[in-house]
Amino acid sequence: MNKKIFLGFILITFNLFSQEKGVFSGGFESNAQWYLNDPCFLDEFYNPVSHPENPLRSNSYLLLNYKIKNWSFGIQGESYLQDALLNYNPKYENVNIGTYFAQYKNEKIDVTAGYFYEQFGSGLLLRTWEDRALGINNSLRGIRFIYKPTNYFTLKTLYGQQRTGFDVSKGKIFGADLELALSDVLKMENSDLTIGFNSVGRYEKTDIVDPNFDKLTMTYGGRVNYSHSSFYISSEFDYKSKDAVVQVRNQIDNNLIKSGNALLLNVGYSKKGFGVDGTFRRLENMSFYSERLAKGNQYNDMILNYVPSLTKQHHYNLANIYVYQAQPNVIINDASLVKAGEIGGQIDLFYNFKKGSKIGGKYGTKVAVNYSQYHGLAGTFYIYSPQDYSTEFLSFGKKYFSDANLEITKKWDEKWQTVFTYINQYYNKKFVEETYGEVKTNIIGAEAIYKFNPTHSVRTQAEHMWANSDKKNWAALLAEFNFGTKYTFYVSDLYNYGNEDSRLRHHYFSVGNSFRYKSTRLSLAYGRQRGGLVCVGGVCRFVPESTGFSFSINTSF
Amino acid sequence: MKKLITILICLFGLFLNAQTQMPNVSLTDLEGKKLSITNDFNEKDKIYVFSFWATWCTPCINELDEMNDVLADWKKELNLEVIAVATDDSRTQKRIKPLVNGKGWEYKILLDSNQDLKRALSIVNIPYTVVVKNGVIVHIQNGYVPGSENELYQKLKSL
Repeated sequence: MNKKIFLGFILITFNLFSQEKGVFSGGFESNAQWYLNDPCFLDEFYNPVSHPENPLRSNSYLLLNYKIKNWSFGIQGESYLQDALLNYNPKYENVNIGTYFAQYKNEKIDVTAGYFYEQFGSGLLLRTWEDRALGINNSLRGIRFIYKPTNYFTLKTLYGQQRTGFDVSKGKIFGADLELALSDVLKMENSDLTIGFNSVGRYEKTDIVDPNFDKLTMTYGGRVNYSHSSFYISSEFDYKSKDAVVQVRNQIDNNLIKSGNALLLNVGYSKKGFGVDGTFRRLENMSFYSERLAKGNQYNDMILNYVPSLTKQHHYNLANIYVYQAQPNVIINDASLVKAGEIGGQIDLFYNFKKGSKIGGKYGTKVAVNYSQYHGLAGTFYIYSPQDYSTEFLSFGKKYFSDANLEITKKWDEKWQTVFTYINQYYNKKFVEETYGEVKTNIIGAEAIYKFNPTHSVRTQAEHMWANSDKKNWAALLAEFNFGTKYTFYVSDLYNYGNEDSRLRHHYFSVGNSFRYKSTRLSLAYGRQRGGLVCVGGVCRFVPESTGFSFSINTSF
Repeated sequence: MKKLITILICLFGLFLNAQTQMPNVSLTDLEGKKLSITNDFNEKDKIYVFSFWATWCTPCINELDEMNDVLADWKKELNLEVIAVATDDSRTQKRIKPLVNGKGWEYKILLDSNQDLKRALSIVNIPYTVVVKNGVIVHIQNGYVPGSENELYQKLKSL
């Protein structure tokens, strides 16, 4: 009903303004898969990979925007036919209207009704966004009001329910965020100083008889940003009020009522040709969903805050097999696997050896170094009833992950460019994935780009990973041919040759091509998909192993 | 519902307009200053090249590296400004400043932290380059392969 009223509203406005000239814009994206049987490709239980019930599936999105004067209107239609791609949230089905909005915006006021995307601070308390590759669209449906009376003051207030499939959450979300550029107020000439405060509340009734927790969960955050010439520092602290912990899927724990908090600190220094940056983060019981029971669902459904893993996002395929995922959750059901959060950080260093210097050569040499390490929180954990825990503020518990890596990029002449990478990782699979085992890896990657002429080029990438356990060693090769600026053809293979089980020494090959023209991109590929986590921006989605054709098209207008 | 969508598609399809403008979105730069895409990049006849990238996107960085080498030459011929719009979210956003300085890039950097601009322009893959002149999108380049920068320059000269 809401949708019909909204459409009616659009049409009326459309007619009212028909003398004025408005502007349409939009985009279309479709990703289709044709899953096939692959008798030689066995999963871990030695069952050959077979296609799902509906082998031909596609996820499609059509976004239309209309803008006239200070008004904007938008609507997004989505279709999942015959079903959504494998391991997408089954709530995405058939054809329906996913989101819509109407917005009025001028210099001082911005009002949006309908679905909207918002982020407060770093997103540790609230971030709503869309990531189609992960099947995330957690926009809020309601109303948002942004007031910006001067350049240095912004106040945002919002109220809504969160999108889940083609429905909205039962939990009701409200929040406010205030940002003040103090350096403008105090007329500081050479420095920038910004402070911000925010609060987000979730109101959700519960079926539990005699709950020991409130229907309302409140969160509060404060942040500060300071920079002075080449130096900068920022920090954020967030607090979540006491609420029932959900340890096991679909089970609210009425006897473990805990608060949560997060601390983020970032310091950096950079000038021309040099940059260094360090981040520290501590999380304790900081997962936040618009419904309590949504916690831990594999589709990231109804996720309200953004807790990315703060590690380097590698572009090498083999470096993305053991990917760290942030650990904000509490689990104390098993004495050998207790968690209450994470503590750790990362350091980045960028350096550019100048053109003409000894190491720089004619075109300069660029070096990037990164190190990250994360641990669980140390503390006292009471496993048996009553369950409870207490943590120490700055002490490190079990090691979860570390990654040390070096990347050197060198352009030799007009035709040649090479990139060399070394990565050393430690991945505590038992704690990160809540299964068993730990893996140590060493990865070497080399990449070369050769230009035949101004528009034809080839890019090759070779990788090798030594792993001491789990699936052991891997090798990977990729060759990408660019015929002009519009057409690309590639072949690639990942080979798990070191797997101790000879039946599982699979080749994950892929052959594909893409065509680009102006705002349109078409691609077609055939190959095998490695099962495991597909991660974008530190948020991951599990995908099963599969074989088949994939086709995608996207365009904007 | 299906009918409704079909009607909607037909309706909107009729009014498709090639003269697309940039959306009215405000983004912050590396100094924390808020800039409006429509009001702060509107000098008459100046060419604005908005290049969408991220710290984790290797082809994007290759493109910006290559363009940075020739930007001074381009500016001699044309009245243009290149704006590198970083679509990094809070996971990698802190890496932007040291990377930009480490590489010695000369671009204006804008932070599209929650991808408001990227979403408003229906951008699916980066690198993605939008060329704007007098408030109107005059050219789009989708993707980057070595040599794309030459083609882009030829296009810019023809505007």
